[in-house]
Amino acid sequence: MRLRGLLWLNAISSVLPAALLGSATVEGRVELPKSRSAPVQAKRYEIVTKGGVLSTQPPLAVVYLDGAFPRPASLPTKEVTQKDLTFIPALLPIEAGTKVEFPNLDDTYHNIFSYSPAKRFDLGRYRPEERPIPSVIFDKPGLVTLRCDIHEHMRGLILVLNTPYFVMTDTAGRFRLDKLPPGHYTLKAWIDSRTTKEKAVDVKNGQTLHVDFP
Amino acid sequence: MSSAVETRDKGVARFRTRLFTAMMIVVATLTALGFYLAQRKVTADAERNLQQIFQNELSSLHKLEELRHAALADRCNALAAKSRIHAAIEDNAIDLLYPSAKDELRDLMEGEEPPPAQAAQWLHAKFYRFLDGAGAVIKPLNPYDVGELNGDTEAQLALSELPDKQQIGYVLENTQAGDRAIDEVIAVPIFSTDTGEVISALVIGFKPLELEDKHTGMKSGIWTNGHLHLPALPAASTLNQKVADALAKSDQDENYFRVDAGGAPQLLFYKRLNPGSLFLPAYEICVYPLSYSLEELRRLRWQVSGAGALLLLGGFIASHLIALRFSAPVKKLALDSEENRAKRRRAEAALASTAQELERSTRYSADASHQLKSPVTVLRVGLESLIEREGFKPEIYEELSVLLHQTHRLTGVIEDLLLLSQLDAGHLQIASTPVNLSQLVDEWLDDLGALPDSPDVKIEKEFPPALFVAGEKRYTSLVVQNLLENARKYNRPGGRIRVSACVNGSGVVLTVGNTGCVIAPGENIFERFHHSSTPSAASGHGIGLNLARELARLHGGDLRLVRSENDWTEFEVRFSAANGVNPVA
Repeated sequence: MRLRGLLWLNAISSVLPAALLGSATVEGRVELPKSRSAPVQAKRYEIVTKGGVLSTQPPLAVVYLDGAFPRPASLPTKEVTQKDLTFIPALLPIEAGTKVEFPNLDDTYHNIFSYSPAKRFDLGRYRPEERPIPSVIFDKPGLVTLRCDIHEHMRGLILVLNTPYFVMTDTAGRFRLDKLPPGHYTLKAWIDSRTTKEKAVDVKNGQTLHVDFP
Repeated sequence: MSSAVETRDKGVARFRTRLFTAMMIVVATLTALGFYLAQRKVTADAERNLQQIFQNELSSLHKLEELRHAALADRCNALAAKSRIHAAIEDNAIDLLYPSAKDELRDLMEGEEPPPAQAAQWLHAKFYRFLDGAGAVIKPLNPYDVGELNGDTEAQLALSELPDKQQIGYVLENTQAGDRAIDEVIAVPIFSTDTGEVISALVIGFKPLELEDKHTGMKSGIWTNGHLHLPALPAASTLNQKVADALAKSDQDENYFRVDAGGAPQLLFYKRLNPGSLFLPAYEICVYPLSYSLEELRRLRWQVSGAGALLLLGGFIASHLIALRFSAPVKKLALDSEENRAKRRRAEAALASTAQELERSTRYSADASHQLKSPVTVLRVGLESLIEREGFKPEIYEELSVLLHQTHRLTGVIEDLLLLSQLDAGHLQIASTPVNLSQLVDEWLDDLGALPDSPDVKIEKEFPPALFVAGEKRYTSLVVQNLLENARKYNRPGGRIRVSACVNGSGVVLTVGNTGCVIAPGENIFERFHHSSTPSAASGHGIGLNLARELARLHGGDLRLVRSENDWTEFEVRFSAANGVNPVA
């Protein structure tokens, strides 16, 4: 599977217009909320709700370069699997127009649906052997909350962005965006469903800009 | 006499009437009191019974409603656990709320309306609505699925805030047919499974459970928001105002009062159906006709009146009998007193005439004595002057002397009579002083010896020289004189007189005995004007002994004949001894 993803990535880079291929880099650190629990060594994280606010646990941020970028003709398909009654990954940032498949890796039915304004869909009940793998194209920017009608506790987030330049921080909040086209942009850091920080940035070719979100 | 009987009978009748009247008053008072108490008891019992029935019915209604509420709470908890409901509320997809709940609540709305007896178990809803975070009603896109409501009714479902527990309310619904209906609504909070916070509320409308009553003719309804919904009672609109007034006046959650509805007295109970609810206050109204208790009251009134009448009748008979029994002694008493009065009158008349006679005789004796005294004195003075003259023959002087003696005797008799009449009239007063009886006796014995015609009698004296008695000297002297003169007068020649005196106890006893002819037994010598049956040379005028005894008695003593036999007659006179003067015997 990983092999397939890499192939897709190669395909994307080959398709991208040369003018947009930049060499600028932005890196820095997002000050993340204090984790309530001890830091988890594993890469696994989950979505938690606190006071109606959805965030990841341990806290992670998505940093992206906001701006008007031409929509690519095709985008690689992404995947959110259901395994052990959780969404993996729990938070998936994608560019608008991306098709996301929801393979069921559990031995039980799932019924993925979303009532979020960014995307309403209902995949209905399906078993692991369901083919084709149920998928949804997210064409509108916004946060989509994934739920399972059968397993009430399951939560997943898909952050649909209007940009191809985005990255998830590590648990320390560090991020690095490279190959950015030069220009004047707004750099945003999505921290939870209610909190998105932003900073204006001037990105120049060959430069590495250091931006921190305190 | 017949008029007296009439008066007496009238008195008895009056007594009987009074007794009967008093008993009637008592019985009537008791009857009235009994009736008053009975009426109060019936009224209080009726109210208490109805109150009990009302409470029981309400409590059974509450039990049914609790069933319904428990079922709804379960339903809403299950609903809140549904992802789609959460998604619709949390993801701001309100429009998807009703479609999401439709499947879950489908059975609430479907099916036929259950029979009233099972309404509580069936959970057959008329409509339901969700409330948003502010408590406002979320309008359904397709009202047909969730029960159609007009705007006014729907607005009544809104709350000022989301409740954290079940709330009961009642809303007025204007039906399409143009009449009003009341719906019971239950707001159940929906808690977020994530946060535990109230994220919405489900308001479900039901047809209200109705109180059932088969015996008392009770009619029940609901009062809320200024309207009384009691379709079974035509006069509900007038009751509406009364209920509103009662609720405005009192802040009690339940009470009752009397009303007149449809021309019949009724007891109206009310009780708050939703205490503490965020919805408008609503009250269960139950109107019980009092006809049942009134009928009972009427029956009781007859019973009490009947009992009173019986009591009165019994009282009448009893009082009659009692009056008869009581009046019998009264009658007898009246009769007896009548007889007694007559007797007394007679006795009084007799006494008066006796007193009159006595007075007359006393006065006569006194008058006669006085009338006699004067001519005797004239006679005596004349005779004395004749004797003092000279020149008569000696026989004439002798004759004159005898006559003069007789006038002296006559004067004595007259004085004795005067004294007796005074004694009889009770006019004689004695001034008691110590009198020397021994001296008195000695003087009289001397006088006797000096008398010209004294027979040859021997005188024996046996008394101390000084023996004092209490009395008036005059009268004591008369007694002594009388006895001594008799002893001389009735003695025989050569006889003897024996005079003895001594102290005896508290008195002094003087005994005078003499020889001579004896007094025949049975002869009452103490009788006034007594004359001896045996002819004797000596005779008195018959009042001496009588007077002596009367005088002795007046002095607290007595005179009696001790014996008269064998040529010896002995009298004994007793005087009171003068205090502290006589030597102790």
